[in-house]
Amino acid sequence: MSEPLLSVRDLKTQFFTEDGTVRAVDGISFDVHEGEIVGLVGESGAGKSVATSSILRLVDSPGEIVGGEIKFKGETIFGLEEDGGGELRPRDEMLTEEEMRKRIRGREIAIIFQDPMESLNPVFTVGGQLREFIEINRDLGTDEAKGEAIDILREVGIPAPESRYDEYPHQFSGGMRQRVLIAMALACQPDLIIADEPTTALDVTVEGEILEMVKDLQEKYDTSFIWVTHDMSVVAEICDRVNVMYLGEIIEQAEVDDLFYDTKHPYTSALLDSMPRPDETVDELRPIKGVMPEAIDPPSGCRFHSPCPEAREVCREVHPEPREMSGDAEGTHTAACVKHDAFDIGYDTSPPIDTEATGGFSAGFTETGGEAE
Amino acid sequence: MSLLRYTLRRFAQAIPVLIGIVTITFFLANQIPGDPVEIMLGPTPAQEQVEAIRAQYGLDRPIHVRYFTYLSGVATGDLGLSIYYDRPVLEMILLRLPVTLLLMLSAFAFAIVTAIPLGVISAKRRNEPADHVSRIVSLIGVSTPSFWIGLVLIIVFAFYLGWFPARGLVLPWADPADVRGAATRIGVLRQTAHHLFLPMIGLGTLQMAQITRIERSSMVDSLQGEYVKLARAYGVPESTIVRKHAFQVAQLPVITIIGLGLSTALGGAVLTETVFEIQGMGRLIITAINNQDYQLIMGTTLVFGFVYVIGVIVTDITYSYLDPRVTYGDE
Repeated sequence: MSEPLLSVRDLKTQFFTEDGTVRAVDGISFDVHEGEIVGLVGESGAGKSVATSSILRLVDSPGEIVGGEIKFKGETIFGLEEDGGGELRPRDEMLTEEEMRKRIRGREIAIIFQDPMESLNPVFTVGGQLREFIEINRDLGTDEAKGEAIDILREVGIPAPESRYDEYPHQFSGGMRQRVLIAMALACQPDLIIADEPTTALDVTVEGEILEMVKDLQEKYDTSFIWVTHDMSVVAEICDRVNVMYLGEIIEQAEVDDLFYDTKHPYTSALLDSMPRPDETVDELRPIKGVMPEAIDPPSGCRFHSPCPEAREVCREVHPEPREMSGDAEGTHTAACVKHDAFDIGYDTSPPIDTEATGGFSAGFTETGGEAE
Repeated sequence: MSLLRYTLRRFAQAIPVLIGIVTITFFLANQIPGDPVEIMLGPTPAQEQVEAIRAQYGLDRPIHVRYFTYLSGVATGDLGLSIYYDRPVLEMILLRLPVTLLLMLSAFAFAIVTAIPLGVISAKRRNEPADHVSRIVSLIGVSTPSFWIGLVLIIVFAFYLGWFPARGLVLPWADPADVRGAATRIGVLRQTAHHLFLPMIGLGTLQMAQITRIERSSMVDSLQGEYVKLARAYGVPESTIVRKHAFQVAQLPVITIIGLGLSTALGGAVLTETVFEIQGMGRLIITAINNQDYQLIMGTTLVFGFVYVIGVIVTDITYSYLDPRVTYGDE
């Protein structure tokens, strides 16, 4: 495969709070190739949004990127190196804040935010806001930028864009505002658009329309996308490849079909089981047991071991890094679960965890091998 | 609907409020114990004299008749005759009101010009030293009475340093011939500024502190807004974000506080005028109360009430002009 457009390696973003260090993003790696829609999936709090703001280097204080590397079209968005005394410092080729603002944000990588109701400025006209971003990121004059803005509003399906150009955000419905936000991203003609749960706040029919529209526009402009969502049905609808996040880590990475039909990680299975699927009939949906732990003090071993139906003693001790599952050169599929042969650290012989955790002496020695798929 | 029609309707809506103010003022003023005629004529006046005075000021008629007479007088701009000054109340007010307005406007100009940058810097450098300083200054500002600030200013800048005069005010429209140390209009204006400086700060400090606090918290909010994150993500320079994207949204609560401050500043002006011996509305109202000059009490109270109502209306109108989300109240 060709050089990826965006390459994220071992990215770590932490928040230094009074209660301790929150490891919101804890060593994730993924690539985005040209023309691809890559999904970033996980529950609330998994670190998806922090990961995307890290890519633009817009993590709010007290958050900070503390490690890893982000490369975009050969340029270093983030990268550290050791100086003589064992301290880390930014690499020389890392883009400065000024370069990030002028060359990357908006111009190369644009973002669509989650909340269309709050993301537009209430005291400026929709057209004015759109025009400002076009002027900044495409070096156009005011009149030209206005023309572009009206064209792009038409393209994202806003009726009568000439007159709506001068209206204020509160005169737009939620779906229309989301279209405006998408228009902003497209209008700057970036190579990569990060869509941070753009349809979550919308009702299902509007969501469907918007997904259709994005697919069409993606084909037309051949823009790459990172599509952040917690909704597996959106993933199925739109993504080419998917990264599943749990508690700051990517625990499974696969082509979209492989992820759905050849699921490797129990957490991904749990996510899929917790939502209705048109291709499977079940008596009832199975919600994921318990809530995701806090990233401030992640569990030892595999972070998913406590709600995991397939967890064994070894899961509590060994923290698995994602490993290649298929061995296939084309279409990689990685997962971070020790039940697979790729790990070979004695999962099969390890006793299952007594999930009630009440002493667990007798339960610890009971073999219930039938639980694994 | 146009802004103009909205403005007119807001003023029309104020008429019942104004009638209410007149009514309450009238009956309150008439409940004040003591007899103005007694103050005029001394403790043992002749009976005929008392009755003549009562007839002259209409005090011999029943209260409801006097009320309607007064109400129709107010409607035609006749506020009655001041017993103490023996001149029409309106004339006295027109003489003194500009002085108070001058004091108030300069105090607000001082407050706004200092408070808005201070609040913005404070919000931008939240929890940094500059923010702490500005917060402490504004906390002291809101918790210190204006007359006390006035006295301290007089002691320090007039008495010890001698930089500014301690009392009186030179009106900018005064005849240069009447003003000591001024030969021309420019000289008069310089004298005005010189005299106005300490009272302006004395009265403006509270407003400055209040506006700073609101400006800061409002800017802190808007700087955390999603629209600010969006602007950052699209490469808008930070200075533009502060000056435009965050600032404009943040001014709405500030306008409200300024509008409300206009009315509290009227109360402050009474004290400040007393401290600096300025012949404005404040001094007029105190003279009126001390002398039981109930016509003058009513007149001055009415003016304060009217200024308050106008302040609220102007705030509303400014608000609807700045915030596109405010509707004009009809479909």
